[in-house]
Amino acid sequence: MGISLAVIVAGTAIYGAALGAWRSPAQGVFSALKLPLVLTLTALGNSLINGMAAPLLGVSISFKESLAAILASFAICATILASLAPLLLFLVVSSPSMDSAQRGAAHGLILIVNVGSLALAGIVGNVRLFQTILSLSGDRPPALRVWTAWLGMNLLLGSQFSWLLRPFVGSPGLPVEFLRADAFQGNFFEAVFRALVRLFS
Amino acid sequence: MNIPEQGPPPLPGVSSTTNPSQAPSPVPSTPKPPLPIQGMGMLIEALLRDPSRVVGDPAAKGRSRQALALLLIAALGAMIYGIVVGSFSGGDQYWAAPVKTGLGMLLTGLICLPSLYVFGALGGSKARVQDILLLVAGLAALVTILLLGFAPVAWVFSQSTQSVAAMGALHLLFWLTATLFGLRFLNHGFKQLQGSSNLGLKVWMLVYVVVGLQMTTALRPFVGVGATFLPVEKKFFLSHWADSLNGKPSIRP
Repeated sequence: MGISLAVIVAGTAIYGAALGAWRSPAQGVFSALKLPLVLTLTALGNSLINGMAAPLLGVSISFKESLAAILASFAICATILASLAPLLLFLVVSSPSMDSAQRGAAHGLILIVNVGSLALAGIVGNVRLFQTILSLSGDRPPALRVWTAWLGMNLLLGSQFSWLLRPFVGSPGLPVEFLRADAFQGNFFEAVFRALVRLFS
Repeated sequence: MNIPEQGPPPLPGVSSTTNPSQAPSPVPSTPKPPLPIQGMGMLIEALLRDPSRVVGDPAAKGRSRQALALLLIAALGAMIYGIVVGSFSGGDQYWAAPVKTGLGMLLTGLICLPSLYVFGALGGSKARVQDILLLVAGLAALVTILLLGFAPVAWVFSQSTQSVAAMGALHLLFWLTATLFGLRFLNHGFKQLQGSSNLGLKVWMLVYVVVGLQMTTALRPFVGVGATFLPVEKKFFLSHWADSLNGKPSIRP
Protein backbone atom coordinates (compact mmCIF):
# COMPACT_ATOMS: atom_id res chain seq x y z
CA MET A 1 0.00 0.00 0.00
CA GLY A 2 2.93 2.30 0.67
CA ILE A 3 4.09 2.01 -2.94
CA SER A 4 0.59 2.75 -4.21
CA LEU A 5 0.36 5.82 -1.99
CA ALA A 6 3.74 7.07 -3.18
CA VAL A 7 2.71 6.61 -6.83
CA ILE A 8 -0.60 8.41 -6.21
CA VAL A 9 1.11 11.37 -4.55
CA ALA A 10 3.91 11.66 -7.13
CA GLY A 11 1.74 11.05 -10.21
CA THR A 12 -1.07 13.41 -9.32
CA ALA A 13 1.35 16.07 -8.06
CA ILE A 14 3.10 16.10 -11.46
CA TYR A 15 -0.21 16.30 -13.30
CA GLY A 16 -1.56 18.95 -10.88
CA ALA A 17 1.52 21.11 -11.40
CA ALA A 18 1.01 21.04 -15.17
CA LEU A 19 -2.70 21.70 -14.78
CA GLY A 20 -2.33 24.79 -12.63
CA ALA A 21 0.70 26.18 -14.45
CA TRP A 22 -1.41 27.96 -17.06
CA ARG A 23 -3.05 30.28 -14.47
CA SER A 24 0.18 31.02 -12.58
CA PRO A 25 3.18 29.21 -11.05
CA ALA A 26 1.56 29.55 -7.61
CA GLN A 27 -1.59 27.83 -8.89
CA GLY A 28 0.64 25.05 -10.24
CA VAL A 29 2.11 24.53 -6.76
CA PHE A 30 -1.33 24.62 -5.13
CA SER A 31 -2.77 22.09 -7.59
CA ALA A 32 0.28 19.84 -7.14
CA LEU A 33 -0.49 19.79 -3.41
CA LYS A 34 -4.25 19.45 -3.68
CA LEU A 35 -4.74 16.81 -6.37
CA PRO A 36 -2.94 14.08 -4.35
CA LEU A 37 -5.12 15.05 -1.39
CA VAL A 38 -8.30 14.44 -3.39
CA LEU A 39 -7.34 10.85 -4.18
CA THR A 40 -5.81 9.88 -0.85
CA LEU A 41 -8.58 11.45 1.24
CA THR A 42 -11.22 9.76 -0.93
CA ALA A 43 -9.58 6.35 -0.51
CA LEU A 44 -9.11 6.79 3.24
CA GLY A 45 -12.52 8.39 3.87
CA ASN A 46 -14.28 5.53 2.13
CA SER A 47 -12.07 2.76 3.49
CA LEU A 48 -14.45 1.84 6.33
CA ILE A 49 -17.63 1.58 4.28
CA ASN A 50 -15.84 0.02 1.30
CA GLY A 51 -14.28 -2.58 3.59
CA MET A 52 -17.71 -3.34 5.07
CA ALA A 53 -19.46 -3.41 1.69
CA ALA A 54 -17.19 -6.11 0.19
CA PRO A 55 -18.12 -9.03 2.52
CA LEU A 56 -21.75 -7.89 2.68
CA LEU A 57 -21.98 -8.00 -1.12
CA GLY A 58 -20.35 -11.41 -1.39
CA VAL A 59 -16.58 -10.83 -1.70
CA SER A 60 -14.93 -12.02 1.47
CA ILE A 61 -11.84 -9.84 1.66
CA SER A 62 -10.31 -7.96 4.57
CA PHE A 63 -10.29 -4.21 5.13
CA LYS A 64 -6.60 -4.19 4.26
CA GLU A 65 -7.22 -5.98 0.98
CA SER A 66 -10.06 -3.67 -0.01
CA LEU A 67 -7.99 -0.58 0.74
CA ALA A 68 -5.00 -2.06 -1.11
CA ALA A 69 -7.19 -2.77 -4.16
CA ILE A 70 -8.57 0.76 -4.24
CA LEU A 71 -5.20 2.40 -3.69
CA ALA A 72 -3.72 0.25 -6.47
CA SER A 73 -6.45 1.40 -8.88
CA PHE A 74 -5.88 5.02 -7.87
CA ALA A 75 -2.15 4.49 -8.44
CA ILE A 76 -2.92 3.34 -11.99
CA CYS A 77 -4.99 6.51 -12.50
CA ALA A 78 -2.12 8.59 -11.14
CA THR A 79 0.38 6.88 -13.43
CA ILE A 80 -1.77 7.61 -16.47
CA LEU A 81 -2.22 11.23 -15.38
CA ALA A 82 1.54 11.60 -14.87
CA SER A 83 2.14 10.21 -18.35
CA LEU A 84 -0.27 12.80 -19.77
CA ALA A 85 1.36 15.68 -17.85
CA PRO A 86 3.96 16.47 -20.56
CA LEU A 87 1.17 16.69 -23.16
CA LEU A 88 -0.85 18.94 -20.87
CA LEU A 89 2.19 21.09 -20.17
CA PHE A 90 2.80 21.45 -23.93
CA LEU A 91 -0.82 22.57 -24.31
CA VAL A 92 -0.42 25.06 -21.43
CA VAL A 93 2.77 26.51 -22.90
CA SER A 94 1.33 26.83 -26.40
CA SER A 95 -2.09 28.21 -25.36
CA PRO A 96 -2.87 31.94 -25.21
CA SER A 97 -1.56 33.21 -21.88
CA MET A 98 -3.39 34.99 -19.07
CA ASP A 99 -2.48 38.36 -20.64
CA SER A 100 -4.14 37.46 -23.93
CA ALA A 101 -7.65 38.51 -24.93
CA GLN A 102 -8.28 34.85 -25.76
CA ARG A 103 -7.57 33.63 -22.24
CA GLY A 104 -11.21 32.53 -21.82
CA ALA A 105 -10.95 30.13 -24.76
CA ALA A 106 -7.60 28.82 -23.48
CA HIS A 107 -9.10 28.21 -20.02
CA GLY A 108 -12.02 26.35 -21.60
CA LEU A 109 -9.73 24.17 -23.70
CA ILE A 110 -7.59 23.24 -20.69
CA LEU A 111 -10.73 22.34 -18.75
CA ILE A 112 -11.93 20.08 -21.56
CA VAL A 113 -8.54 18.37 -21.90
CA ASN A 114 -8.47 17.92 -18.13
CA VAL A 115 -11.91 16.30 -18.11
CA GLY A 116 -10.82 13.98 -20.94
CA SER A 117 -7.60 13.02 -19.13
CA LEU A 118 -9.40 12.34 -15.86
CA ALA A 119 -12.05 10.30 -17.67
CA LEU A 120 -9.42 8.18 -19.42
CA ALA A 121 -7.47 7.60 -16.20
CA GLY A 122 -10.67 6.87 -14.28
CA ILE A 123 -11.96 4.35 -16.81
CA VAL A 124 -8.67 2.42 -16.99
CA GLY A 125 -8.24 2.52 -13.19
CA ASN A 126 -11.75 1.21 -12.65
CA VAL A 127 -11.40 -1.55 -15.25
CA ARG A 128 -8.30 -2.72 -13.39
CA LEU A 129 -10.10 -2.39 -10.08
CA PHE A 130 -12.87 -4.66 -11.35
CA GLN A 131 -10.29 -7.20 -12.54
CA THR A 132 -8.64 -7.11 -9.12
CA ILE A 133 -11.95 -7.69 -7.31
CA LEU A 134 -12.78 -10.48 -9.75
CA SER A 135 -9.43 -12.17 -9.12
CA LEU A 136 -10.05 -11.96 -5.37
CA SER A 137 -13.64 -13.22 -5.51
CA GLY A 138 -13.52 -15.61 -8.47
CA ASP A 139 -17.19 -14.96 -9.18
CA ARG A 140 -18.42 -12.23 -11.51
CA PRO A 141 -21.81 -11.15 -10.00
CA PRO A 142 -20.50 -10.39 -6.49
CA ALA A 143 -17.40 -8.75 -7.97
CA LEU A 144 -19.64 -6.50 -10.07
CA ARG A 145 -21.77 -5.62 -7.02
CA VAL A 146 -18.73 -4.67 -4.95
CA TRP A 147 -17.17 -2.70 -7.80
CA THR A 148 -20.42 -0.78 -8.34
CA ALA A 149 -20.70 0.03 -4.63
CA TRP A 150 -17.06 1.16 -4.42
CA LEU A 151 -17.41 3.22 -7.58
CA GLY A 152 -20.53 4.93 -6.21
CA MET A 153 -18.90 5.78 -2.89
CA ASN A 154 -15.68 6.96 -4.53
CA LEU A 155 -17.64 9.19 -6.91
CA LEU A 156 -19.70 10.62 -4.05
CA LEU A 157 -16.76 11.52 -1.81
CA GLY A 158 -14.30 12.23 -4.62
CA SER A 159 -16.68 14.77 -6.17
CA GLN A 160 -17.05 16.51 -2.83
CA PHE A 161 -13.30 16.65 -2.14
CA SER A 162 -12.64 18.00 -5.62
CA TRP A 163 -15.32 20.64 -4.95
CA LEU A 164 -13.89 21.58 -1.54
CA LEU A 165 -10.31 21.77 -2.74
CA ARG A 166 -11.06 23.74 -5.93
CA PRO A 167 -9.60 25.52 -7.93
CA PHE A 168 -7.24 23.24 -9.82
CA VAL A 169 -7.03 25.09 -13.14
CA GLY A 170 -7.92 28.56 -11.87
CA SER A 171 -10.49 30.82 -13.55
CA PRO A 172 -8.95 33.86 -15.32
CA GLY A 173 -11.42 36.19 -13.58
CA LEU A 174 -10.77 34.96 -10.05
CA PRO A 175 -7.72 35.42 -7.84
CA VAL A 176 -5.13 32.68 -7.36
CA GLU A 177 -5.77 31.09 -3.97
CA PHE A 178 -5.28 27.76 -2.25
CA LEU A 179 -8.98 27.37 -1.45
CA ARG A 180 -11.92 29.48 -2.53
CA ALA A 181 -13.35 31.70 0.20
CA ASP A 182 -16.68 29.82 -0.01
CA ALA A 183 -15.08 26.37 -0.12
CA PHE A 184 -16.99 25.11 2.93
CA GLN A 185 -20.33 26.71 2.05
CA GLY A 186 -21.91 24.23 -0.26
CA ASN A 187 -21.41 20.90 -1.91
CA PHE A 188 -20.75 19.57 -5.37
CA PHE A 189 -24.25 18.18 -5.84
CA GLU A 190 -25.98 21.40 -4.77
CA ALA A 191 -23.82 23.26 -7.30
CA VAL A 192 -24.80 20.82 -10.06
CA PHE A 193 -28.46 21.11 -9.05
CA ARG A 194 -28.32 24.93 -9.10
CA ALA A 195 -26.60 24.86 -12.50
CA LEU A 196 -29.34 22.60 -13.89
CA VAL A 197 -32.06 24.86 -12.46
CA ARG A 198 -30.40 27.88 -14.10
CA LEU A 199 -30.16 25.98 -17.38
CA PHE A 200 -33.85 25.07 -17.51
CA SER A 201 -35.37 28.22 -15.98
CA MET B 1 -7.45 1.47 -26.31
CA ASN B 2 -6.89 -2.20 -25.56
CA ILE B 3 -7.35 -3.29 -22.03
CA PRO B 4 -5.92 -6.70 -21.27
CA GLU B 5 -8.44 -9.42 -20.57
CA GLN B 6 -6.36 -11.28 -18.02
CA GLY B 7 -6.44 -10.33 -14.37
CA PRO B 8 -4.12 -7.77 -12.85
CA PRO B 9 -0.93 -8.68 -11.04
CA PRO B 10 -1.45 -9.59 -7.38
CA LEU B 11 -1.67 -6.65 -5.00
CA PRO B 12 1.27 -6.08 -2.70
CA GLY B 13 0.49 -7.71 0.60
CA VAL B 14 -2.65 -9.38 -0.70
CA SER B 15 -2.83 -13.12 -0.87
CA SER B 16 -4.26 -14.53 -4.09
CA THR B 17 -5.66 -17.49 -2.18
CA THR B 18 -8.39 -15.38 -0.66
CA ASN B 19 -10.82 -16.92 -3.11
CA PRO B 20 -11.78 -20.33 -1.80
CA SER B 21 -12.52 -21.58 -5.32
CA GLN B 22 -8.90 -20.95 -6.32
CA ALA B 23 -7.36 -22.44 -3.20
CA PRO B 24 -5.86 -25.91 -3.54
CA SER B 25 -7.96 -28.65 -2.00
CA PRO B 26 -5.72 -31.69 -1.83
CA VAL B 27 -7.75 -33.85 0.55
CA PRO B 28 -11.48 -33.56 1.07
CA SER B 29 -12.06 -32.96 4.74
CA THR B 30 -15.11 -32.65 6.92
CA PRO B 31 -16.02 -28.99 7.53
CA LYS B 32 -15.00 -27.71 10.94
CA PRO B 33 -17.77 -26.24 13.08
CA PRO B 34 -17.45 -22.46 13.31
CA LEU B 35 -15.79 -21.04 16.40
CA PRO B 36 -18.20 -19.68 18.98
CA ILE B 37 -18.64 -15.92 18.86
CA GLN B 38 -16.74 -14.34 21.73
CA GLY B 39 -16.56 -10.60 22.23
CA MET B 40 -17.93 -7.58 20.41
CA GLY B 41 -15.24 -7.66 17.72
CA MET B 42 -16.11 -11.21 16.65
CA LEU B 43 -19.80 -10.34 16.74
CA ILE B 44 -19.31 -7.37 14.40
CA GLU B 45 -17.08 -9.44 12.12
CA ALA B 46 -19.70 -12.22 12.01
CA LEU B 47 -22.48 -9.72 11.21
CA LEU B 48 -20.54 -8.50 8.20
CA ARG B 49 -19.02 -11.75 6.95
CA ASP B 50 -21.16 -14.63 8.10
CA PRO B 51 -24.59 -13.60 9.47
CA SER B 52 -25.66 -17.24 9.81
CA ARG B 53 -23.19 -17.54 12.70
CA VAL B 54 -24.96 -14.72 14.52
CA VAL B 55 -28.35 -16.36 14.22
CA GLY B 56 -26.73 -19.69 15.02
CA ASP B 57 -28.46 -22.67 16.52
CA PRO B 58 -31.85 -21.86 18.12
CA ALA B 59 -31.09 -24.41 20.83
CA ALA B 60 -27.74 -22.83 21.74
CA LYS B 61 -27.27 -21.14 25.10
CA GLY B 62 -26.42 -17.48 25.60
CA ARG B 63 -28.68 -16.14 22.85
CA SER B 64 -30.25 -13.52 25.10
CA ARG B 65 -26.79 -12.32 26.10
CA GLN B 66 -25.82 -12.13 22.44
CA ALA B 67 -28.97 -10.14 21.69
CA LEU B 68 -28.11 -7.70 24.48
CA ALA B 69 -24.58 -7.33 23.11
CA LEU B 70 -26.04 -6.54 19.69
CA LEU B 71 -28.40 -3.97 21.22
CA LEU B 72 -25.45 -2.37 23.00
CA ILE B 73 -23.54 -2.20 19.68
CA ALA B 74 -26.64 -0.66 18.06
CA ALA B 75 -27.11 1.97 20.77
CA LEU B 76 -23.43 2.93 21.00
CA GLY B 77 -22.95 2.91 17.24
CA ALA B 78 -26.04 5.03 16.66
CA MET B 79 -24.87 7.54 19.27
CA ILE B 80 -21.42 7.81 17.66
CA TYR B 81 -23.06 8.39 14.28
CA GLY B 82 -25.30 10.92 16.05
CA ILE B 83 -22.24 12.97 16.96
CA VAL B 84 -21.48 13.25 13.24
CA VAL B 85 -25.10 14.24 12.61
CA GLY B 86 -24.90 16.86 15.36
CA SER B 87 -21.62 18.27 14.05
CA PHE B 88 -23.62 19.93 11.25
CA SER B 89 -25.12 22.48 13.66
CA GLY B 90 -22.80 22.08 16.64
CA GLY B 91 -23.71 23.50 20.07
CA ASP B 92 -26.49 21.57 21.82
CA GLN B 93 -26.85 19.25 18.85
CA TYR B 94 -23.56 17.59 19.85
CA TRP B 95 -25.46 15.88 22.68
CA ALA B 96 -29.06 16.10 21.41
CA ALA B 97 -28.46 14.35 18.07
CA PRO B 98 -26.59 11.34 19.58
CA VAL B 99 -29.33 10.88 22.19
CA LYS B 100 -31.98 11.01 19.46
CA THR B 101 -30.21 8.63 17.05
CA GLY B 102 -29.58 6.10 19.82
CA LEU B 103 -33.14 6.43 21.08
CA GLY B 104 -34.61 6.34 17.58
CA MET B 105 -32.72 3.17 16.65
CA LEU B 106 -33.81 1.31 19.80
CA LEU B 107 -37.39 2.61 19.75
CA THR B 108 -37.88 1.60 16.11
CA GLY B 109 -36.80 -1.95 16.92
CA LEU B 110 -38.85 -2.07 20.12
CA ILE B 111 -42.02 -0.79 18.47
CA CYS B 112 -41.72 -3.29 15.61
CA LEU B 113 -40.66 -6.30 17.71
CA PRO B 114 -44.15 -7.54 18.70
CA SER B 115 -45.48 -7.31 15.15
CA LEU B 116 -42.54 -9.35 13.82
CA TYR B 117 -43.27 -12.07 16.36
CA VAL B 118 -46.97 -12.11 15.48
CA PHE B 119 -46.42 -11.92 11.70
CA GLY B 120 -43.89 -14.74 11.98
CA ALA B 121 -46.20 -16.88 14.09
CA LEU B 122 -49.07 -16.32 11.65
CA GLY B 123 -46.78 -17.51 8.87
CA GLY B 124 -46.04 -20.72 10.76
CA SER B 125 -42.78 -19.69 12.42
CA LYS B 126 -41.61 -21.58 15.49
CA ALA B 127 -39.24 -18.76 16.44
CA ARG B 128 -39.35 -17.81 20.12
CA VAL B 129 -39.35 -14.26 21.45
CA GLN B 130 -35.61 -14.41 22.18
CA ASP B 131 -34.96 -15.54 18.59
CA ILE B 132 -36.97 -12.57 17.29
CA LEU B 133 -35.15 -10.26 19.72
CA LEU B 134 -31.81 -11.58 18.41
CA LEU B 135 -32.88 -10.91 14.81
CA VAL B 136 -34.10 -7.37 15.50
CA ALA B 137 -31.02 -6.62 17.60
CA GLY B 138 -28.83 -7.94 14.77
CA LEU B 139 -30.71 -5.77 12.28
CA ALA B 140 -30.21 -2.66 14.42
CA ALA B 141 -26.54 -3.51 15.08
CA LEU B 142 -25.76 -4.07 11.39
CA VAL B 143 -27.50 -0.81 10.45
CA THR B 144 -25.41 1.17 12.95
CA ILE B 145 -22.16 -0.57 11.98
CA LEU B 146 -22.77 0.43 8.37
CA LEU B 147 -23.71 3.96 9.45
CA LEU B 148 -20.35 4.14 11.21
CA GLY B 149 -18.76 3.14 7.91
CA PHE B 150 -20.57 6.04 6.26
CA ALA B 151 -19.66 8.41 9.12
CA PRO B 152 -16.42 9.84 7.63
CA VAL B 153 -18.25 10.66 4.40
CA ALA B 154 -21.18 12.19 6.30
CA TRP B 155 -18.76 14.27 8.37
CA VAL B 156 -17.05 15.70 5.28
CA PHE B 157 -20.42 16.79 3.88
CA SER B 158 -21.55 18.11 7.30
CA GLN B 159 -18.58 20.45 7.44
CA SER B 160 -18.94 21.69 3.90
CA THR B 161 -22.60 22.33 3.27
CA GLN B 162 -25.17 24.69 4.78
CA SER B 163 -28.33 23.13 3.44
CA VAL B 164 -30.37 21.23 6.03
CA ALA B 165 -32.36 19.57 3.23
CA ALA B 166 -29.22 18.32 1.45
CA MET B 167 -27.69 16.97 4.69
CA GLY B 168 -30.98 15.39 5.72
CA ALA B 169 -31.25 13.69 2.33
CA LEU B 170 -27.70 12.35 2.59
CA HIS B 171 -28.25 10.93 6.09
CA LEU B 172 -31.50 9.40 4.87
CA LEU B 173 -29.74 7.82 1.90
CA PHE B 174 -27.11 6.30 4.21
CA TRP B 175 -29.77 5.06 6.66
CA LEU B 176 -31.84 3.49 3.87
CA THR B 177 -28.78 1.78 2.38
CA ALA B 178 -27.75 0.43 5.78
CA THR B 179 -31.33 -0.65 6.53
CA LEU B 180 -31.47 -2.55 3.24
CA PHE B 181 -28.53 -4.70 4.38
CA GLY B 182 -30.00 -4.98 7.88
CA LEU B 183 -33.28 -6.28 6.50
CA ARG B 184 -31.41 -8.72 4.30
CA PHE B 185 -29.74 -10.07 7.45
CA LEU B 186 -33.13 -10.39 9.13
CA ASN B 187 -34.62 -12.16 6.11
CA HIS B 188 -31.74 -14.67 6.01
CA GLY B 189 -31.99 -15.15 9.76
CA PHE B 190 -35.70 -15.84 9.52
CA LYS B 191 -35.13 -18.38 6.77
CA GLN B 192 -32.43 -19.99 8.90
CA LEU B 193 -34.79 -20.29 11.85
CA GLN B 194 -37.88 -21.53 10.07
CA GLY B 195 -36.75 -22.47 6.60
CA SER B 196 -38.84 -19.93 4.71
CA SER B 197 -39.64 -16.27 4.42
CA ASN B 198 -43.28 -15.31 4.06
CA LEU B 199 -45.40 -12.40 2.91
CA GLY B 200 -45.93 -11.34 6.51
CA LEU B 201 -42.19 -10.79 6.90
CA LYS B 202 -42.07 -8.65 3.76
CA VAL B 203 -44.97 -6.56 5.06
CA TRP B 204 -43.16 -6.21 8.39
CA MET B 205 -40.02 -4.97 6.61
CA LEU B 206 -42.06 -2.24 4.97
CA VAL B 207 -43.57 -1.35 8.35
CA TYR B 208 -40.07 -1.18 9.90
CA VAL B 209 -38.87 1.25 7.21
CA VAL B 210 -41.98 3.45 7.61
CA VAL B 211 -41.57 3.50 11.41
CA GLY B 212 -37.90 4.44 11.01
CA LEU B 213 -38.81 7.24 8.60
CA GLN B 214 -41.50 8.53 10.94
CA MET B 215 -38.96 8.44 13.79
CA THR B 216 -36.87 10.98 11.83
CA THR B 217 -39.84 13.35 12.10
CA ALA B 218 -41.09 12.41 15.57
CA LEU B 219 -37.67 13.08 17.13
CA ARG B 220 -36.73 16.04 14.90
CA PRO B 221 -34.58 17.97 14.52
CA PHE B 222 -31.63 15.63 13.92
CA VAL B 223 -30.05 18.01 11.42
CA GLY B 224 -30.32 21.74 12.19
CA VAL B 225 -31.63 23.10 15.48
CA GLY B 226 -35.08 23.46 17.01
CA ALA B 227 -36.58 25.62 19.74
CA THR B 228 -37.20 22.55 21.89
CA PHE B 229 -35.51 19.17 22.30
CA LEU B 230 -38.56 17.42 20.82
CA PRO B 231 -41.01 18.96 18.33
CA VAL B 232 -44.22 20.55 19.57
CA GLU B 233 -46.07 20.11 16.27
CA LYS B 234 -47.00 16.58 15.18
CA LYS B 235 -46.42 15.74 11.54
CA PHE B 236 -46.24 12.84 9.14
CA PHE B 237 -42.75 12.43 7.72
CA LEU B 238 -43.74 13.20 4.12
CA SER B 239 -45.29 16.46 5.24
CA HIS B 240 -42.17 17.34 7.23
CA TRP B 241 -39.91 16.66 4.26
CA ALA B 242 -42.13 18.73 1.98
CA ASP B 243 -41.94 21.62 4.48
CA SER B 244 -38.16 21.28 4.63
CA LEU B 245 -37.87 21.43 0.86
CA ASN B 246 -40.41 24.23 0.31
CA GLY B 247 -40.53 27.52 2.03
CA LYS B 248 -39.25 26.69 5.50
CA PRO B 249 -35.73 27.86 6.32
CA SER B 250 -33.22 25.23 5.28
CA ILE B 251 -29.99 26.92 6.16
CA ARG B 252 -27.75 25.92 9.04
CA PRO B 253 -28.19 28.40 11.89
